Amino acid sequence: MNLIVCLHAPPATTDGHTLGRDDTHALGHALALAGTGPSHRVTAVLAGSALETGPLHRALAAGAHRAVRVGGDDFGAADFHTVGQVLAVAIRRLDADLILTGGRSDDDGLGAVPAAVARYLGIGYVASVEEIAMAGDGAVEVVVRGAGRKRRLRVKLPAVLSVVAGPQDSVIAPDRTGNPAEIDLLSLADPEATVVRRRTELLGREEPASRGTEEVTSAAALVAALDRR
Amino acid sequence: MDRAERRWHDRTPGAWRLASTFEATSLPNLLVPIDLRDGEPTGPSLFALSEARRIAHQAGATIYAIAMNDRELAPRVVSDLGRAGADKVILCEGAGLGAPPMEATHGPALLAAVERVPPLLVLFPAGGAGPELAPSLAARIGAAFAARADLVVSETDGPFADGVGRVFLRRWRSDRSSYRRLDPVEIERPVVALLASGRRPGQGGQGGQGGQGGQGGQGGSEDIDIEVIACPPPAQSGIQEIASEPDGLAEVSLSQVLVIVDPAVGVEALARLTAEAPAGVVVVDRKAAATAIAASAPEILIGVGHADLPMVGTPSGRVGVILFGDAVLPPGALADVLWRAPGDPGDVVWADLARALTSLAVPATRAADRAGRESPT
Repeated sequence: MNLIVCLHAPPATTDGHTLGRDDTHALGHALALAGTGPSHRVTAVLAGSALETGPLHRALAAGAHRAVRVGGDDFGAADFHTVGQVLAVAIRRLDADLILTGGRSDDDGLGAVPAAVARYLGIGYVASVEEIAMAGDGAVEVVVRGAGRKRRLRVKLPAVLSVVAGPQDSVIAPDRTGNPAEIDLLSLADPEATVVRRRTELLGREEPASRGTEEVTSAAALVAALDRR
Repeated sequence: MDRAERRWHDRTPGAWRLASTFEATSLPNLLVPIDLRDGEPTGPSLFALSEARRIAHQAGATIYAIAMNDRELAPRVVSDLGRAGADKVILCEGAGLGAPPMEATHGPALLAAVERVPPLLVLFPAGGAGPELAPSLAARIGAAFAARADLVVSETDGPFADGVGRVFLRRWRSDRSSYRRLDPVEIERPVVALLASGRRPGQGGQGGQGGQGGQGGQGGSEDIDIEVIACPPPAQSGIQEIASEPDGLAEVSLSQVLVIVDPAVGVEALARLTAEAPAGVVVVDRKAAATAIAASAPEILIGVGHADLPMVGTPSGRVGVILFGDAVLPPGALADVLWRAPGDPGDVVWADLARALTSLAVPATRAADRAGRESPT
């Protein structure tokens, strides 16, 4: 089985994390699934510039078999339709059975790219998955919550699953020095990849946040300030 | 109650008529997908309708409540939707649509409703099917998407008619360094948005976003039309339910006030706060409830023992942080209000906090609504 994990380059953090929060869980699930069979392979994919390959290096160090950077555009300024379409084109070339993504990015936190990927691939999509297990016969079992129910579902592959933090920590192996794999570059010269929609987000005006932090000295003052603001 | 309920059945969804939504001669449609729990609309669903009503009043728009179910809605539910702000109800009715919504099973039905009524805005309530359905809907119709957004109405005239305002959506970037303002008309395509929880006019409680609703929010009529679209189940959804159980964290995603406690402060503190939390205030363990927290959009969020709250909140939401000892607020952390509690967490802190939280109590939805409705105003 070919598992693809879509990663994004999170904003620079002081703690040095190179993987997005939800991406960490997606990669953790992918590596765990790959560990259940010798023929399973994990490919990490990121649409971004050569300066944004940190997550791919981290994925390789953690045990991913291959890392692919999708280049050819300024994806940092693209909307989720564009990024989803670009990733879908790349994934189609890589031939995936199961695509895992983080539920939300660390910067905009929209959670819309996974749906766009599924839309452009024309395959199933399940959001907010917190557990995944192989089910055999071209399917996986997932656990999701919604509408007051916690459900275990059998999902036929291929499919896109967006992963969120579950009650169990995702285990990402510490950096290994023995993985020599390099990052492959996939350049999208395909005309299909140039059919993009750029207008949905870029016209939205960015405005600085003007709220500061009010410091208080008691629980009652904290709650009163929150209720007042 | 003598209701004049008109119904249309089995209409074939029309062609996508997005362009007409933006013609100056037509007023926009606001769509609010309704989350049902045990056949009743959730509190955030009614809040979303009240928010739609607030902006519809100023922007001149028609509000459609979109419900998906495997049976007719109870007349009382339709009345509740109308009273909360809906002008009309569209019921997507079909086998399997009473199950928890998923893109594979409910996405086509929702799309049928959206094709029937081309929207300017689709406002998903907090804590429901939004994270599952909204991004896919946006992807399908080429819409802009805003997660955890709030709504602002400009005083200046909008594009639709004299005296009709312009509507903006605001959403934070996750690091809350800035927010982005979206104008659906300027973008020339619909906007699909996830709203936060909040108090709607007449729900009670103090302060909060209910005040925002009160700035112009008006209730609707309980006597509204309902249109039924027959939605056959997808031929192959690729999804099969193996097991289902009540979600012990279900109330987290619907909460208006959410207190997230770091497990490091101790299980006793969590248990005490949970036991003493007033109605409408939900207290959870940050780690154990991680998934539910990610799906929540509370009006007020309080982090206890940590400030790691980057993915929650709207520009209208408020964030409080309680830190202990020498802990410092990390750069860029979210905190409108910060209390550095003295020393280690102890009984005094929890008693004080539990007592203070009572002022944030939110009346239970239905009981409070009914009491409010039956009381003379």
